[in-house]
Parts: sequence; structure tokens; C-alpha cells
Amino acid sequence: MTEYIGNPLLWALLVALVAAVALIIRQRRAARALRQEVQGLKDHYAELESDYGKSVQAAQERAEDETKTVLKSAMRTLQGLAAEQQLVLSRLQTKYGDSAMLQDLLEIDHTNSQFGRRAQSIAVLCDGWLGGRRDTASVYDVVRSAQGRIRHFRRVEILSQVDFGITSRAVEPVALALAELLDNATSYSSPDTVVEINIRTVPKGICVVVDDAGVGMSDEERARAEKLLASDRASGVAGLGNPPQFGFAVIGVLCERFGFEVSVDSSSPYGGVRAVVLLPHELLTSMPDKKAPAPAVRAAAVPGLDGGPEAAALAPSPTADGLPRRRRKRPMAIVPGSDPAPRPAGRSDSEQAQVMGAFQRGTQSGRAARPEAGDRTSSTPGASSEGHEVS
Amino acid sequence: MTGQDAWEPEAAELVRPYVITKGRDLPDEEQLSLITLVTASADRTQRPTRLSPEEQSLLDLCSAGYLSVAELAGHTRFPLGVVRILLASLTEGGYLVTRPPVARARLADKEILEEVLNGLRAKFG
Repeated sequence: MTEYIGNPLLWALLVALVAAVALIIRQRRAARALRQEVQGLKDHYAELESDYGKSVQAAQERAEDETKTVLKSAMRTLQGLAAEQQLVLSRLQTKYGDSAMLQDLLEIDHTNSQFGRRAQSIAVLCDGWLGGRRDTASVYDVVRSAQGRIRHFRRVEILSQVDFGITSRAVEPVALALAELLDNATSYSSPDTVVEINIRTVPKGICVVVDDAGVGMSDEERARAEKLLASDRASGVAGLGNPPQFGFAVIGVLCERFGFEVSVDSSSPYGGVRAVVLLPHELLTSMPDKKAPAPAVRAAAVPGLDGGPEAAALAPSPTADGLPRRRRKRPMAIVPGSDPAPRPAGRSDSEQAQVMGAFQRGTQSGRAARPEAGDRTSSTPGASSEGHEVS
Repeated sequence: MTGQDAWEPEAAELVRPYVITKGRDLPDEEQLSLITLVTASADRTQRPTRLSPEEQSLLDLCSAGYLSVAELAGHTRFPLGVVRILLASLTEGGYLVTRPPVARARLADKEILEEVLNGLRAKFG
């Protein structure tokens, strides 16, 4: 062994070995440090990535919310204007009711209703204001209201009626949802076909069935519709496509918010789509009363024809509509039954009738007797009845 | 939403008049004027169920005897033209009978009246 100690070669090897070991250890340490660094970087990267995703999503939501807010207030203005215009149109229709202009006014009214409905639909998608009703309305009237909000309302036929009303809170949403269904039904069927509405009582409430004779929906469209009608609805107005398809998205939101159901999964016997709106008992009431007559403003404004308090007291009692009551022997069915106020003085109805009859006979005999001038003596009361004022 | 409903201004009628008329056109002026008289036709005592509430109430109003178009319009609170359209369609369906207004009496000859007046003046004046 000892002879090897002096061998420089051995020493050299030894030194080289030690150096190599040292080197390896150092490299491994460096490699470990690098690995750790890489891991750290990877973690950091992942963290950044998820942060980025989150912030993008948040930004999207914020943008969506902002869009919704802007649209909501814009639609609110439009809805208000449409409602205002509707009132103006109602007034004009009453004012020019006897002129040929009424036809045009009705047409403008129709356009205005469609315009209002579009604004309402967008507002619904933006969680906005729907516009409310103070009174309950019959199911039939709500269906007709919906009918009036679409372009081709003439093609819609309501085949049955039920004696139920809809609570005031649900009137607008149900009308809007039905209008969207009817819009779809009339848009996707040929213009010479009829869209039928049947209203039926079912154990769960009331069904409004809309049948069209169109081409129906493809599986893809049906799936989309069902998805929109179900709870995972499209959020907001983005993603409705161009041109935007509001219908089912709007209906979905309304169903969720007001608690009624719409299904389009059956097909109509006429080949098109059958849409069924199920109104649960919570949204239904008994049939609303006939419209309460307007307050009798005009009744007070119309004095007795001859003036004076006595004449006013003798004047025929006005109806609840503020119109003078026409006296007739048989009672009229529709006029709200206020007690027939006995007239304190003057002729009874039959006496009055006799007088009028005599008057009419007089004028007729006067007219018939006109050629023979000799008969025209003083007794006929008809002589002064011809409308001429002789001073 | 509920808070906003509270101040809801007066709303227009839920069912618009053009839906009530089903989009039909105005009838001719000669066919149904303001003073045309209308009554329910006697042979249709059974009330059809397919009529709208407005048509039903018009029939109710007419069931007791002749009423003029103007009176009917007053009682229903609809614009006159709308009532005329409804009445025209009810007449077409055979539920109503219309009677043209009583023809206006022919005016007396002005000269005769003047002569009478002169005669009276001569006698009593």
C-alpha cells in the first residue's frame, strides 16, 4: 500500500475525485434551487392566470350590468313615452270618434302598442320596469291585450273564454309573455293561416293554448327555446344574436319572476308549434266586475235645459255614466240599476207618450193634408212643427 | 318594482279599440249614421257565446227596443266609430236589425208661410 502513497498519480486522482464530488453536489444543489424557482414561477403563473380570468369575468359582468343599467333607463323613457302616447291616442279616438280619421288613429294605436311592447321586452331582460296595472282583468281581456301588441293580430282567434280574472300584478307580465308567443306564432306561419287560442281550466289553474299552423321548430330551435325557458337563461341582452331573438328569453325571465309556466315541447295538430301557458291559482282571481263607470263629472255640468232649480229637479235622473236616462217602459238591461227616481210632478210616462203620439199624428196628418189648403185651419198642432222660426 | 307600481299614472285601457273591432274598417256613412235606429233581431233569441263582451253588452242594450247609434255610443263609452264597426258586424251576423232614420219632414213653402203671416198681421196687427 505504502508504495502507492508516494505515487503522485494517486494523489492527482484523489484530488480529481474530491473536486468531482464537490462539483456534483454543487450542481445538484443548483438544480434543486432551479426546480424550486420553476415551481414558484409556475404557481405564480397559475395564480396570475386565474386572477386574470376572474377580473375578465368581473369586467364582463360589470360591462353587462352597465349596459343593463343604461338600457333599462333608456327603455324606461321609451315605455313612458309609449304609454303617454297611448293615452293621447285614446283621447283623440274619443274626440274624433265620428270622423273617418278614426281608422288612421286606430292604426297608429296599433303601431304604438307594438313599439311599447318592444321596449317592455328589452326592459324585462334588463331587470327593468314592466309597467303595472291597478285593476284585475279577465283572462280573456289579458289575452286580447296580448293580441293587440303584435303586428298580425287579425290572424289570431280566441276560441273559448273562462270566467276567471288575473291579479293586477300578473296582468302585464302574462300579457307580455303571451304577446311574445303570439308574435312567434304569427311570424313563423304563413300569412293566410290562423293562430288559435284556447283557454281551458285545468286542475292546476288555467291553460292558455296557442296553436299555429306553421312549420314548427327544428330540434335545435326547440332545445334553445327550452333552455331559455328553463332556469339557465341567457343573462342579459348580450348573446341574443342579430337580429336579436327576444321572445323566449323574455318569456323565461317573466316565468321565473312571476311564477307561471310556459312550455313549447308539444306540436300543434296543425303542424306548427303548440305553446301552453299555465297560470297557477296564485295568479288567478274571480272575474273582475264590469268596469266601474266614470265619475259623473258631466252630470253636474249639465243643468236643466230651461235653467232654474225647479227644472233641474225635474230633469231626468242621469245614469251612472253621466248621461241623461232615456225613459222607456221596459227596463234596460245594461244600465247600472239605480232606483228609478219618481218624478215629483209633470206627466207620467204613458201620458207623455200619448202627448207625443198625438203630436206625431198631428204632424203626419198636417203633412198629408197639405194639398187641401182648406183643411189647414187652426187646430192642428203640426202647423208649427216644421222647424221654421216665424218671427 | 312594487314601489314603482304605486305611482303608476292613469293607464290606458288594457284592450285597445282596434282589437275590439278586430281591425275591421268603418262602415259606410249611409249604412249606419248617428241617428240610425238599431234593435236586436227577434229571431235570434239565443245568445251566441262566441261574441266578445263588448258585442254582448251592445246586444243587451239593444234588446229592449230601438236605440239610436248615438245613444249606444254614449252608453258604451267607446268612440263612436268603434261602436259603428261593432254594430255593422253584428248586423251582418244577423243579431241586429237596423232601421234607417225617419226621413226629414219636407219643409213648408216659405212663401205660403209669409202669406199666412201677412194675413195674420192684416187681421190682428
